[in-house]
Amino acid sequence: MLFEEPGPRAKRRHRVLEVVSWVVVAGVAYGVAWTLNKNGAFDAAAWKPFSQWGVWRQLGLGLLNNLRAAVVGMLLSMLFGCLLGWGLLSKRKLVRNPCRAFADLFNGIPILLLLFFTSLVLPSWGLPLSDFWFLVIALSLYSTAVVGDLVRAGVMALPRGESEAAAALGFSESESMWLILLPQALRVMSPALLSQMVIVFKGTTLAFVLGGYFDLLRSATVLGAYYSRSLLQAQVVAAIAFMLVNIGLSQMAAAIDRREKQRYGTQPVALDDLDTHGGGAASLAR
Amino acid sequence: MSFLLPHLGEFAWGIAFTIGLVFLGWVGAMILGTVLAIMRVSPIRAARTAAAAYILVFRNIPIPVQMVLFVFGFPLLGIVFSLFTSAVIVLIAYHAAFVCETLRSGLNTVAVGELEASRSLGFGPFATMRYLVLPQAFAAVVQPMGNVLILLVKNTSVAAIVGVAELTFTADKVAIEEVQAFIVLGGAAIAYVLICIALKRCVSLLERRVAFSK
Repeated sequence: MLFEEPGPRAKRRHRVLEVVSWVVVAGVAYGVAWTLNKNGAFDAAAWKPFSQWGVWRQLGLGLLNNLRAAVVGMLLSMLFGCLLGWGLLSKRKLVRNPCRAFADLFNGIPILLLLFFTSLVLPSWGLPLSDFWFLVIALSLYSTAVVGDLVRAGVMALPRGESEAAAALGFSESESMWLILLPQALRVMSPALLSQMVIVFKGTTLAFVLGGYFDLLRSATVLGAYYSRSLLQAQVVAAIAFMLVNIGLSQMAAAIDRREKQRYGTQPVALDDLDTHGGGAASLAR
Repeated sequence: MSFLLPHLGEFAWGIAFTIGLVFLGWVGAMILGTVLAIMRVSPIRAARTAAAAYILVFRNIPIPVQMVLFVFGFPLLGIVFSLFTSAVIVLIAYHAAFVCETLRSGLNTVAVGELEASRSLGFGPFATMRYLVLPQAFAAVVQPMGNVLILLVKNTSVAAIVGVAELTFTADKVAIEEVQAFIVLGGAAIAYVLICIALKRCVSLLERRVAFSK
């Protein structure tokens, strides 16, 4: 909060403004509710399909499909991200420069374009995969680039003594990376990785364009085509479900962030990327 | 490459649409995001609550969902805009939340002592914001703000799923028509990367310009 202790006159002014603002907020809320009501958004008929178990089941399966793609994509991108981060930290230019190019390239391409790319190009190369894999590959290509940069930042944030001690104990360079540096870096990165999970999860909704993979958004739209009165309702339910999952993940990231800070008194690693939710945003510019 | 010639006009339009989306979306998101950030740090509780609720909702609903909801759902409520306008509105609504969060971390860097100084010099609350707080806050977050801009550039492609003929949509269409997916989509990808690189350049130039405040 960005204001100093108010004096008596400012306190009076704030009270008046407070009342005025609440009236404005209430007015906006009333206007929204009125518009919704006038167009029959609250009618019993529009909500009737939601009394059926099958409708909820379809929506739930859609959400599970989103989560499945997000989890697989995230796991793949963590695996390849560690490799990419290793490459980015390499002393050899021959390894480092291609890795840098990969990271910069896939950071700059929209996920939707990657999705079109995988779904059109891979079949023409004789890889007729399912829509699920098109989605997962597109997501993990993008996410690998981000995780690779994160791993690099995480390893760089470790004290130099770690790698020096490993070298003194006779670990080879790759052993010290996989056994000493990466495990610690992953731990420091965990809030940022959870935030990345939120981004990947948001990206799974792009499966809407594929048509062969029933994510929640697609399920809701198909439901709306079937029960034509309920399109808006189904989509709003889907939006709320996405929102709750994302809020849950962000809260988890923030909680881990706090715990790690208490335990070690260190700043967690975050790219100065805005997309980092909760935990990352907190460490942006203190 | 001759198959591309008849489509050059389409691609030019696609890039023009993308740049238009970026420009309008960015201007709108900056304005709305700044207003939200000011609400977020104001002494009025109602304003703080409203801004926090806005951010919670709009940042956590994925942008494809917002886009589909706005374009296919809202017409049922009698709210109809053209496709391009809808895409701009959704882009503004989504990215304003990110602009607000970024700017807020910049606002937190302004010391309370400076506010007291500006008060004792006779500045009112809005003049303090305008001449003292906002310039410092924006200067502190040029780089993170640049990242939001890059995010916006990439998210303009989401307009393709509702059928705005911007770069991604055009590339997909031409790729299917000409059965030349690799070249066409690869070209579009390069165009995006070039736009991002150009914007990053501008951001680092700007950062050097405002370095005086540090």
